Amino acid sequence: MISPLISLFLKLSAFSLVAFGGINALLPVLLKITVEQEHWIDVQTFSDFFAIAQAAPGPNGLIVALIGWKVSGLLGALVATLAICWPSSIMIFFLQRYLNNMQDLRAQRTIQFAAGSLAVGLVLSSSWELALQIDQSTAAYALTALAVALTLFTRWHPLYLIALGGLVGVLGFI
Amino acid sequence: MDNHQKKLSPSELFTGFCRIGLSGFGGVLPWARRTIVEKEKWLSPEEFSAMLGICQIAPGPNIMNLAVCVGSKFAGVRGAVAAVTGLMFAPIIIVVLLGMLYECYSFMPAVQGLLRGISAVGVGLIASTGLKMLRTEFRYPPMLMAVALTMIIAIYFHLALGWVVLITAPFALLIAWRKTQHD
Repeated sequence: MISPLISLFLKLSAFSLVAFGGINALLPVLLKITVEQEHWIDVQTFSDFFAIAQAAPGPNGLIVALIGWKVSGLLGALVATLAICWPSSIMIFFLQRYLNNMQDLRAQRTIQFAAGSLAVGLVLSSSWELALQIDQSTAAYALTALAVALTLFTRWHPLYLIALGGLVGVLGFI
Repeated sequence: MDNHQKKLSPSELFTGFCRIGLSGFGGVLPWARRTIVEKEKWLSPEEFSAMLGICQIAPGPNIMNLAVCVGSKFAGVRGAVAAVTGLMFAPIIIVVLLGMLYECYSFMPAVQGLLRGISAVGVGLIASTGLKMLRTEFRYPPMLMAVALTMIIAIYFHLALGWVVLITAPFALLIAWRKTQHD
């Protein structure tokens, strides 16, 4: 029986290295670990934490800090954030030097294109799985679709969309 | 390539990224560009785009990767650590304070509705990020097969993230290699 904090640290560290597409790609994994495997929080709390991290200033990845905080207070928040940072930070530190010094331009571009396509695939699958878990009503799905349409076809700032979502929610439509 | 060799101290990087972290409502990257390129002029627009390109293809949070790249460019490892710490420091405190408020008020139906609305929009924001990224893949349609394979393995077969990457990476590299020939 290892403490929840160590288990959170190890699991998040492991996923940091394969999270092409950033935290967004990692969210379904995070949901699986925290809700289904470890039962630290329920789906509703996960969804609420996701909303808080979206609305707060700073990187959206801070949902990780909220989950760590729930698991074991302020120390948990710091440990979870550190876990998500360190492997990918060390990797990018060396990767950028390597890519910048790379002589073979074709190999360099191959790596970039391949990683780009992985990131697209992972972010899209992540949003698909998140929608299934987080949107609990037809109205919620409609709001998600509306947010997609407004982002793609207008130049609205994301903050307006978040405010719109919050307003629709407070009025009891979701 | 560093002909001007600008130097920034770790503490300048820390405060700069502190401001970026605090101003980043609804996504930090636009603010990072505004601060780094337009206000502070640490990097030229071209340098910024090239750096961001690498940060977006690498795994891990993009904005944090950017902090590592910018920090290490100007002040080595200490600069990287200073930039990342600056970026995360204030937002962590804010988000934990919000978490405490949530503990107190999450029983209220209005708060529950508020968060349900925001999270539905949040999912939409992530989906549209993915769709915007997808647009660039249409320039070489075979690349869409790599995207599709990733999604099928992740969504339909429910494999863990690590497996998805391991299985699809060779395929994606193969198509990407052909794409470079095609260009």
